[in-house]
Amino acid sequence: MSAFSLTTVGGEGFQVTPALIDFNLRLVFTGSGDMNATGVINDYLKLVHEEAIRLGLAQVSCDFKQLTFMNSSCFKSFVVWIDTVKNSEIRYQIAFLTNPSLPWQRRSLEALRRLAANLVTIETIA
Amino acid sequence: MTDTGDARALVSLTLSFRPLAAQIGPLRTLLSDLCKPHLADADGLSRLLLAAHELLENIVKYSVGEAAEFHLLLEAKATGLIVRLRTKNRAAPERMADARWRLDALAKAPNAIAHYDELIRESAGRRDVSGLGLARIPAETEMQLCYATEQDWLILTAEGNASERVNG
Repeated sequence: MSAFSLTTVGGEGFQVTPALIDFNLRLVFTGSGDMNATGVINDYLKLVHEEAIRLGLAQVSCDFKQLTFMNSSCFKSFVVWIDTVKNSEIRYQIAFLTNPSLPWQRRSLEALRRLAANLVTIETIA
Repeated sequence: MTDTGDARALVSLTLSFRPLAAQIGPLRTLLSDLCKPHLADADGLSRLLLAAHELLENIVKYSVGEAAEFHLLLEAKATGLIVRLRTKNRAAPERMADARWRLDALAKAPNAIAHYDELIRESAGRRDVSGLGLARIPAETEMQLCYATEQDWLILTAEGNASERVNG
């Protein structure tokens, strides 16, 4: 099996940085998920799913501590990703790590949890 | 719409512009700077900015012609703050029909969150446009969203309440 293949994507204003620890993949999102980020997130989450299946990961964590905003188009990319995992023969857990000082996160992510309550968890990080 | 008889405007902003994606971030910052001193908590500001962002993206994506308008009004009333956001843009016939269909369905929905959840489930299998932006406003900000049309102009209004910061 080849090595972990995900790399940091994005640029000024928005970035996703991956880190693989044991069988848990952590994706650190920084900046603003706006119109410029939509294509990046959409493409990246497809790669994340492929990698998670290939490596047999138990969980993918999305660290939103430094994600200041996410528009509805970026949100839709997460909907598609979660739906893909939900309908996959091989599944893994998805955890969203939220910043309590950014109230939109809890509101937005609750909708994703309702989409797949058995797959998605929401945690608060300090 | 709100009776403004006993209201005092804390922020009133009217902008006529040719909408560009690169302007949304700076506009969000401006709105945040203008409104933050008057809002009691981060949640109120977060909801206002989310609604403003989705409305601004909507006109960037779908307006035709060069002119669009954006209005923000933050008013203090005896019962608390009233937040009103309004956009006005020209729309192509197919976009106007789609917007009307979505907004009429939203208006008929007895529960904004349940309606949003249903749209999310429907959108999960599609790989095209999101179609979630307008429904997100009432579901996540507790603001009411309504629309009007004037020939090929689409006018969207989001209105809600917030708590006013008490100084001293």
